[in-house]
Amino acid sequence: MKKWIKALPIVALLFVTGVAHAEEKPKVIRIGGGGNALNLPQASGAIGWVNEQGLLEKEFAKDGIKIERTYYKAMGPGQNEAIASGLIDFGSAGDLVTVVGRAGGLPYKIISTSGAGGSNIYIQVNPASGIKSLKDLKGKRIGYQKGTYLHLAFNRILDAVGLTEKEIRGVNLVNADAQAALATNSVDAIVSSSDRPLVDQGVAKLLFDTRKYPQFKSGPGSIFVTEAFANKYPETTRRVLKTLLKGYYWASKPENQEAIIASSVKNGGTYKHIKADLIGALPPKERYDPTVTTKVLKDYQEIIDFAFKRGIIRRRYNVSELFDLRFQAPALKELGYDKYWVHN
Amino acid sequence: MIVFKKFKINSPKDKGNIMSKRKLTILVLGALLIGQTNLQAAESAEAVPQEQPVSDKQPQQASDSTAVPFGSEDLSATDTSEAGGTVTQAELDGVRAEIATLRDQLTQRLDKTIANSKRSLNISGSTQTRYAASSSPSKNGFLFNSAIISLKGYLKRDYVEGKSISYTLGLGSNTSTYNLQPTDAYLQYSIGQSLDIGKPYLYVQIGQQKKQFGLEATTTEDKQPAINLAQFASKLGLSTRDIGIRLYGDLFPVVDLGYNYRIPLIEYSLALYNGSGPNTADTNLDKDIEGRIVINAPAGYYSPYRGLALGGSYYKGKQDLYKGTTLITKGEGEGDKIRYGTDLSYVSAPFGFTAEYVIGKDEKALSGTTLANAVRATTESKGYTVTLFYEWGEQFYKNSRSQSRNDDWWPTTFQPFIRYDHWDPDTAVANNESNITTLGFNFFFAETTKFQLNYSLSDDKATHVKQNTFAAQFQFGF
Repeated sequence: MKKWIKALPIVALLFVTGVAHAEEKPKVIRIGGGGNALNLPQASGAIGWVNEQGLLEKEFAKDGIKIERTYYKAMGPGQNEAIASGLIDFGSAGDLVTVVGRAGGLPYKIISTSGAGGSNIYIQVNPASGIKSLKDLKGKRIGYQKGTYLHLAFNRILDAVGLTEKEIRGVNLVNADAQAALATNSVDAIVSSSDRPLVDQGVAKLLFDTRKYPQFKSGPGSIFVTEAFANKYPETTRRVLKTLLKGYYWASKPENQEAIIASSVKNGGTYKHIKADLIGALPPKERYDPTVTTKVLKDYQEIIDFAFKRGIIRRRYNVSELFDLRFQAPALKELGYDKYWVHN
Repeated sequence: MIVFKKFKINSPKDKGNIMSKRKLTILVLGALLIGQTNLQAAESAEAVPQEQPVSDKQPQQASDSTAVPFGSEDLSATDTSEAGGTVTQAELDGVRAEIATLRDQLTQRLDKTIANSKRSLNISGSTQTRYAASSSPSKNGFLFNSAIISLKGYLKRDYVEGKSISYTLGLGSNTSTYNLQPTDAYLQYSIGQSLDIGKPYLYVQIGQQKKQFGLEATTTEDKQPAINLAQFASKLGLSTRDIGIRLYGDLFPVVDLGYNYRIPLIEYSLALYNGSGPNTADTNLDKDIEGRIVINAPAGYYSPYRGLALGGSYYKGKQDLYKGTTLITKGEGEGDKIRYGTDLSYVSAPFGFTAEYVIGKDEKALSGTTLANAVRATTESKGYTVTLFYEWGEQFYKNSRSQSRNDDWWPTTFQPFIRYDHWDPDTAVANNESNITTLGFNFFFAETTKFQLNYSLSDDKATHVKQNTFAAQFQFGF
């Protein structure tokens, strides 16, 4: 009897393995991503490396599963539309995109972060605008892309100096248009990522960036999957995530940082600005940490709460609705990475 | 991997460390290519690693205690990463000479081969080439159905609030004339702001423009499944242009930031036209009025109600008074002309449904030869159409059409549809209706090109003619 009980876990494991092996396989895995400044079909960073190495193709070649990638110029909102229309299975985006999408009922879940470091936010101003401090933004024309991590982070910065979005004149512009609008004096300031050619050219001044105030950086980005895909193909979902985690392991190595910067440059970034963006940054191992920790969940809950408070979303919900934690821990364990990104 | 070698140039004696002029030129030209024109951008890239080497051992992120007091930024000291170096005068002069040569080459090319205009100009156009065959009477042939050239641009652009003035000038020909004539010729002014998607828009449009009655006659060509419009659109003169002024806008916009999606609860349009048609001076003292209102479902992008809309249109004007085909003496602009209709649509890719019902009332003379002795009567006509369509492909997903790609990709899309079109020219007369059922298939295979196949079964009860018509059409533009 005792032997029989001892054998139970083995039987269960065999059963689970059997079920996993019996899982129906998709013919294609459709992966979305953001476009880039050069309009080239490529990503940077950890995912860019995974793509360059063809790791997903290699992983699924034996099953005859094709990998399709689509890079949406509209970034996160573009991927949300693709999810809503059933055009992609996986995607990656900033923090606000999934928070807004889920608030509207989009059936997807975050299965991993795309690095815990978050992104820096820069506020560039027209010197003639008279803006000398963040409080001077009141009543000014500010260009930024709504619905993205910039939108959320900017709201938090405004909040910290006692302003709200309603007290500025927000102009919804994608980054390239925002830069052009600042150059032509059409807006007084823009909220951007690290690239700031206008500052180099003396056309604009850098008013503020989160390198000095990391508490206002964006939250961790996300890797998400549709609920339908994850439920129908849980084994495939785990294998996709496992392959992507190899990219984050590679990105976490100090010796690969120059290669990551080079890949960002190939996507239209400026070497100087990418380098400068790392001032005060977390070490790579922490910056590219993809694990969903209690802190990550807390960060996302705060984002949900703040977005609701500021009217960016119309529904407040619990962060558990946004995450599916079934896949990450087993994938990390299989790779032997479960103790690599250690958290206190 | 990109490697930037260190360089610092202070005097000609520093030759050992001087970056060669050629390297510097390559850097500058490279910077020009990516929109960077200053030397500092290239130089200071190397300065940063000295400040903050990127490694596991680098300092942790700035703590609050070392941070600059929040909200009191000093512009002169904020961006410390913009450090620069120096170059010799000779090297700088060399770079300047090369830039001047490039500038001259560009200017020469602009003068010789690049079209120019005084204000911003966007040129577009479209052409329809068709093969059509019908059974009764039996005929077939190739047809170039229409050609349109359109010029658009801004006369004055307001970057602050978007209260811009734009112009549109269209020239088009059709099968009846094959002569180019003005189609659209109007100015548009944004009375209200047009940059904040969360606020209402309000525009005024003055000049020759398309009427905005109903759904069938106003849907743009790329979203119109069938080759031909429903019968009532042409019979009641709804698809024509007229000269006048139109005020239109929307209220209570709903914005779903997760998708950059905006839908106003209410869209409205009020217009005053001559009522004499396009390219014609006013033939009478009266003006025609037109109004349209659309209520959209105030739904987010992922809502099943997205794309649901209910519209209503009204048109009242004057037309010449005829007895049969004879104009009554002094009857110019003396007959009433009224149109009203309602439409319902649910267009949410991949599925689409539209329905429209329109009534027309036209005053005519039953007898008499002059306005004084004419006996008048009103003829009521009626038309309706229902269209169903479905799409395979990504043509109608905004963001799918906008991807980072190397090739000239376009989302190949197939769209079968069915439409029923009913027209009754006089509701007081029995058995005079005309019904057309159209089965169609649209194939979108390039950004501005589609191929359309339509097979129509028509039954004209007034003439007792039943006809099968097949049409294949390429519609292409630029």
